[in-house]
Amino acid sequence: MFGSKPRALALMLMLIAPPALLAHTIAGEDANYVQTIDGPAIAPFMYLGAKHMVTGFDHLLYLFAVIFLLNRPLQVLQFVSLFALGHSITLLAGVLFNLQVNPYLIDAVIGFSIVYKAFENMDGFASLTRWRPNAKLAVFVFGLFHGLGLATKLQAFDLSQNGLVVNILSFNVGVEIGQLFALSALLLTLALWKTSGNNAPHRFTVNSLLMVGGFLLSFYQLSAYYLGSPY
Amino acid sequence: MEPKPNNRPNIAIAAGAAACCALITLFVAVLPAEFGVDPLGTGRALGLLGLADANPSPFEKYDQAHKTDRTEFILEPFQSVEYKYYLQEGSAMVFSWTANGDLLFDMHADPEGILDEEGVESYEQTTGSGSAGIYHASFTGIHGWYWENQSFTEITVRLESAGFYERSIVLRDGGSFERDIEPIF
Repeated sequence: MFGSKPRALALMLMLIAPPALLAHTIAGEDANYVQTIDGPAIAPFMYLGAKHMVTGFDHLLYLFAVIFLLNRPLQVLQFVSLFALGHSITLLAGVLFNLQVNPYLIDAVIGFSIVYKAFENMDGFASLTRWRPNAKLAVFVFGLFHGLGLATKLQAFDLSQNGLVVNILSFNVGVEIGQLFALSALLLTLALWKTSGNNAPHRFTVNSLLMVGGFLLSFYQLSAYYLGSPY
Repeated sequence: MEPKPNNRPNIAIAAGAAACCALITLFVAVLPAEFGVDPLGTGRALGLLGLADANPSPFEKYDQAHKTDRTEFILEPFQSVEYKYYLQEGSAMVFSWTANGDLLFDMHADPEGILDEEGVESYEQTTGSGSAGIYHASFTGIHGWYWENQSFTEITVRLESAGFYERSIVLRDGGSFERDIEPIF
């Protein structure tokens, strides 16, 4: 049913993948448990998805950068929905079609997404370049990369084919639940901060710090790619 | 945030400074602590290299040679036997067992000194004619198998193992006896 195209894409992506793909982020007892699951397990996968989102610095920092300048709830809804749509597509497609992408390179791109968004928040494109990228398109495209990152975390396991679709969907639902949790905490923090006097000068500083975090995550993943897994 | 004319150099500087901060942190702290790579010598100076070594190693060293054991039990219909090794916390063994018929079995461990059900951990509890694996004792105690023949025919179970244990214990017909396992050297 899904013929040569995904396979060709997978082959292309495999060229950039080093031989050892090791699990990271979902670790320890969670990892041991996931390996033993054979059949649909809605709650455990939902929990893992939510946990991964809430404890994943890369996703949280990006989400924070995305909502940083948004003031209207509708805008928040639009941007977060585009992000969720993007990462859901590649999470499902990545695992179901078994797209082999290198987790470190994907995570490096995810780190870069934070740098990109912080740069956009500082009006870097308007000030320094002629390029005027569409912010909504960007959040969707980076959503696709974040989803591929989520997919690699699941693919690192020898997942049983039995109940796979239900389990990935559960993981995806869990990711969205975790995102809602994280989002409410981030929005609350931002709202408190925005209402506490004149903070305009600090916006520049906060986005610069976001950039440091994004660069560091990227460099860390690139180091892991070149030096081998630290785990 | 409205772009201001004087913002241009600031943004470029901030982006460059952010990349530099990240690079410095990477080389000073992250590479030594996570990857054991120390290009600037800061990992040694700050004592960060130990963190990289603390990652679980594929090699565990023991002070003594391991022992090997091979044993066999004949189980009449509805007879059962329990065979366990004394293992210290963290010690490992490799094992395989096979039987010429299906047995009810329970691979489990009792903390030393406790003979009731309290503290018993079960690891594999099912019916089958064999199993194999690597076992790491998570506490000091006796670790092994309970086999029960639930059929009307005689079944022989054979076990081979190698590990860092001292002795074993057989529990059968309401009694128990211990046996020392000979060193391999």
